[in-house]
Amino acid sequence: MTDDVQAPPAPQSEFRHLAGDDVGIVRPRDFTHQQPFAFKSGQTIEGFTLRYESYGALNATRDNAVLVCHALSGDHHCAGWHSASDHKPGWWNNLIGPGKAVDTRRFFVICVNVLGGCQGSTGPSSTDPATGRPYGIRFPFVTIRDMVNAQKLLLDHLGVAELHAVMGGSMGGMTAMMFAMEFPHFTRRQVIMASTAHESAQAIAFNEVGRQAIMQDPAWNSGDYPRDGGPRVGLAIARMMAHITYLSDAGMDRKFGRRKHESAGGEAYTFDAQFEVESYLRHQGQSFINRFDANSYLYITRAIDQFDPARAAGTLERAFAPVQAESLIVGFKSDWLFPPEQNRSIALSLLRAGKRGSYAELDTDLGHDSFLLESDELYALVRGFLERNEAYAFDFAI
Amino acid sequence: MSRLVEKRTVDMQVIGEWVEPTSRVLDLGCGRGELMAYLVQAKQVSATGVDLEFDRVSACVRRGLSAYQGDMTVFMRAFPDRHFDRIICSRTVHELNDPAGVILEALRIGNKVTVGFVNHGFWKNRIDACLRGRKVRNAVYTTAWHESRPANPLTIADFEDFCREKSIRVVRRAHLLGDWRTRCPILPNLFAGYALYDLARA
Repeated sequence: MTDDVQAPPAPQSEFRHLAGDDVGIVRPRDFTHQQPFAFKSGQTIEGFTLRYESYGALNATRDNAVLVCHALSGDHHCAGWHSASDHKPGWWNNLIGPGKAVDTRRFFVICVNVLGGCQGSTGPSSTDPATGRPYGIRFPFVTIRDMVNAQKLLLDHLGVAELHAVMGGSMGGMTAMMFAMEFPHFTRRQVIMASTAHESAQAIAFNEVGRQAIMQDPAWNSGDYPRDGGPRVGLAIARMMAHITYLSDAGMDRKFGRRKHESAGGEAYTFDAQFEVESYLRHQGQSFINRFDANSYLYITRAIDQFDPARAAGTLERAFAPVQAESLIVGFKSDWLFPPEQNRSIALSLLRAGKRGSYAELDTDLGHDSFLLESDELYALVRGFLERNEAYAFDFAI
Repeated sequence: MSRLVEKRTVDMQVIGEWVEPTSRVLDLGCGRGELMAYLVQAKQVSATGVDLEFDRVSACVRRGLSAYQGDMTVFMRAFPDRHFDRIICSRTVHELNDPAGVILEALRIGNKVTVGFVNHGFWKNRIDACLRGRKVRNAVYTTAWHESRPANPLTIADFEDFCREKSIRVVRRAHLLGDWRTRCPILPNLFAGYALYDLARA
């Protein structure tokens, strides 16, 4: 997920976080599970912490919760602002808030930094109580199912009886899918955007190049590096490369074209950044290393690569057999990382398995990151799915 | 209710009589889901629709229905034989690229296939074409030729020929007069404005 696609045109007012349809200033919280937690790999840890945010309130019947799942480089901060001077809101702020498509006056919205992450949840950069040093690559291998199991413990702790919906884009869509398979009677709806039921060889290949960039950086040191150090060059390159896969050719052409950077001057015979796209990617790489841990990047990309529910069950229909949720799958025409075809195949497998599901496709030029798009069509679809109302059924005006 | 909405609901009633309660129904060219919503309420069917347009699929989702945005033939190829109890293709058949292909594929994945279409052999339509010398325009075909999608008008006689040629079994027919309500007693190709067929494999 890129940082800037949905960044709204920076509102001029310093009170923008007080906008009526905004959740305003939010604060992350920590949930600590103090019992041993077993990973799918068989490895265990003595307990874990998950950092999360929530907006809105749980109702009396405890069934209005909407779990929002983030993508590879995302986090728990999906809406609102951390302070009045924040220059950017949460990553899905355009979708979530009072009166928005995911209406926080109606729903109790929760978003959790995944297990294995590095934004406050336990992961490879956390301290291993056994050694007093960061886990590094001694941290257990994490799968999407492990992430889901950990988040379920948090939802139980919060008193959520049933999820009104689980939703996410990209890896967040995998997480949502896993929730509906693992906890079928707990999950009433799932919204999966720009996702896949298993990555293509091409997508795995891109992840592998990213991992190699990190692991070939001498500062990676087999995953053993100090908190303020590590393979910064490798991680930045991994991010720059991955970032290209989140955009589209047409989108990049529209955004950058062949425009040159102002400071490039007339000097053509240099390897300094000349084109805007170069300085943009360098900036993306640099800002990423300040907020992301290289080992977490290895772990989470690995979890994404491994995700393949059809493999264990034989077919995707069999994997979906337990699902009780109604599903909404959304694909984006210009997404070539998890293309429409792969999203359609999720929907078709659900329908073949006899489940209720819909598939819709939006024509945008933002590539994989399209799910973060500011689009009234997308908002109406998501709102319609979450708030589907019997009264609409015979309204011919729809 | 406007005359158009009334006409829209006529085939709903006939189809509603034919559809078995709680059956698994696929609506090809489901539009904004009016027919599916009716069948879900009247017959408790489990319905899925297919349509090409985002806005129509989105409207179905808002109604609480399942709908799939995409090409109906590609969609049908993804399903095993007899997956659905009934496939409905009403007021869509004249706009298909490969009507025979669609109907035969529907007969593969569905036990019954309901096809509904405007009969262009209806006397008024003949007069329109002959005397006025104009493209048919009525409550259903409201647009001028240059605003319309490519259409492939057919008549009841054409459709009967097609079923015979392809050895498709006609389980039931409903031929409705120009009011799209009263059953047509004689010479349907001349007097029926709308026709509904329930088809099955021979």
